[in-house]
Amino acid sequence: MREIRATVLENKRIADEVYSLTFAAEEEIVVRPGQFCMIGVGGFPLRRPIAVCKAEGERITVCYRLKGGGTRALAREYKTGEKLSVLLPLGNGFYVKESEKKVAVVGGGVGIFPLIAAIRAYSKHKQVYAYMGFRGRAAVCMEYEMARGEKLVIATDDGSVGFHGTSVQAFMQDVDEIKPDVVLACGPTPMLRALKSAMHGRNIPVYVSLEERMGCGIGACLVCVCEKTDGAHARVCKDGPVFEINDVVL
Amino acid sequence: MADLSVNLCGVTLKNPVIPASGTFGFGREFDEIYDISCLGGVATKGIALTPWGGNPVPRIAESSGVILNAVGLQNPGVEKFIAEDLPWLKGKTRVIANVVGRTMEDYEGVCERLNGLVDFLELNISCPNVRCGGMAFGIRPENIEEITARAKAKCPSTPLIVKLSPNVESIPRNAQAAERGGADALSLVNTFTGLAIDIERRRPILANNTGGVSGAGIKPIAVRMVYEAAHAVSIPVIGMGGITCAEDAVEFLMAGAVAVQVGTQNFTDTRACPKIIAGLNEWCDAHKVARVADLTDTLQFNG
Repeated sequence: MREIRATVLENKRIADEVYSLTFAAEEEIVVRPGQFCMIGVGGFPLRRPIAVCKAEGERITVCYRLKGGGTRALAREYKTGEKLSVLLPLGNGFYVKESEKKVAVVGGGVGIFPLIAAIRAYSKHKQVYAYMGFRGRAAVCMEYEMARGEKLVIATDDGSVGFHGTSVQAFMQDVDEIKPDVVLACGPTPMLRALKSAMHGRNIPVYVSLEERMGCGIGACLVCVCEKTDGAHARVCKDGPVFEINDVVL
Repeated sequence: MADLSVNLCGVTLKNPVIPASGTFGFGREFDEIYDISCLGGVATKGIALTPWGGNPVPRIAESSGVILNAVGLQNPGVEKFIAEDLPWLKGKTRVIANVVGRTMEDYEGVCERLNGLVDFLELNISCPNVRCGGMAFGIRPENIEEITARAKAKCPSTPLIVKLSPNVESIPRNAQAAERGGADALSLVNTFTGLAIDIERRRPILANNTGGVSGAGIKPIAVRMVYEAAHAVSIPVIGMGGITCAEDAVEFLMAGAVAVQVGTQNFTDTRACPKIIAGLNEWCDAHKVARVADLTDTLQFNG
């Protein structure tokens, strides 16, 4: 974990309301799939927590949706060559055991971006099956990155591309056939809830990456907690963002 | 190189910059980014007699120049602090243990347990985010005097700082009440109670509905309140509220503070505190101030 002054290499729109930001760190930074960074946006007191999508040496790519004033300012004001204050790598990230050879990734919305990091990492040595959900055609992006594994199913809410329905529905149609050893998921809470209930009793570990409003991003302020099933609070930024799906209350 | 050390209740701080309670945990996470022994002290996360779970999420929101938080004083309890965090933190810098409670007895219990173990106790009677306790003790002068006296009776060996709320009728009267109760120092301001609305949902952004407002936008109000408190009492005052840089810290010192706390800026810039320490040194050198302590209470009001 460190705080760096990065240089923006590229910050461009890649889909409806979604931007891809690539920056150069001062040196090579090792980022595990599922880890994130906190990006400072001038004039805003809080940094924006954004999952790392690609990490290649000192080149880091994150993708974000235009949601409020901060992300809009990030898209508008941070052109190539601008300096960025970034805290990274943060959080635990995904962990797939050596023995787990078949990995299914199930994502929705901006939750697909940390899963792209997982697909990039695991498709080299494992069979990766990807189920990625979007609102519709205009939201679909980075198909090339998502297609690195054994299989890619794109699901859209309106049926304009691929499977008509959610990524969870698409995945559940295939799950008995592919028999994944582990499932990695990230997306809106209703999607994660649907996945939890659909996978109940199947005895396949499911790891979810959670999103929460954050303060410090490094575990000090206790702002971004989630409730664990044992009643305790865990810090999404430091103890997560990745949790076993049965360990957390969704 | 200016002399940055300050004296607070007979205890020397290597410089007047202290991260504020609730923004810094117990220091471990920030120590992964920089060596926290450079700090004048650390004001810990609020510590209760038993572990507290805190409020539901979302616990944070943002508005222009400020944030709102409603963490609800989640903390591991005093025994875990003593067993796990204090041994790690002690000796690195001055430890200011922030004390929270729901009842008078809670506050007394934590003060008694930590008496002699830490450099300072900071009585948090000003948190706006817990329904009972917290700010309930910090609004009326008579309550402030009583809780201060009862807490002080339990921590005779450790200087007691009373942290004041800005959500009150009179800062000078409350400052004097704490002094009468036996406070060794004051710190202010805690956060201002605020409300941020998600207009699409017509609901508050925070699960707690209201939250404590902090950050650069509150600074002028905080400076005024620190001035009022410092001129109402003869005990030292620690100033805070929206400090983002060394120049902001200088304002608080000139208004009468002996030391300052930095909160929200730790989120904006993880290295905020060491930058402010370095900036204070530069400012003093540039202005031919030999000792940072000489800045305290040097404000001259217009006639």
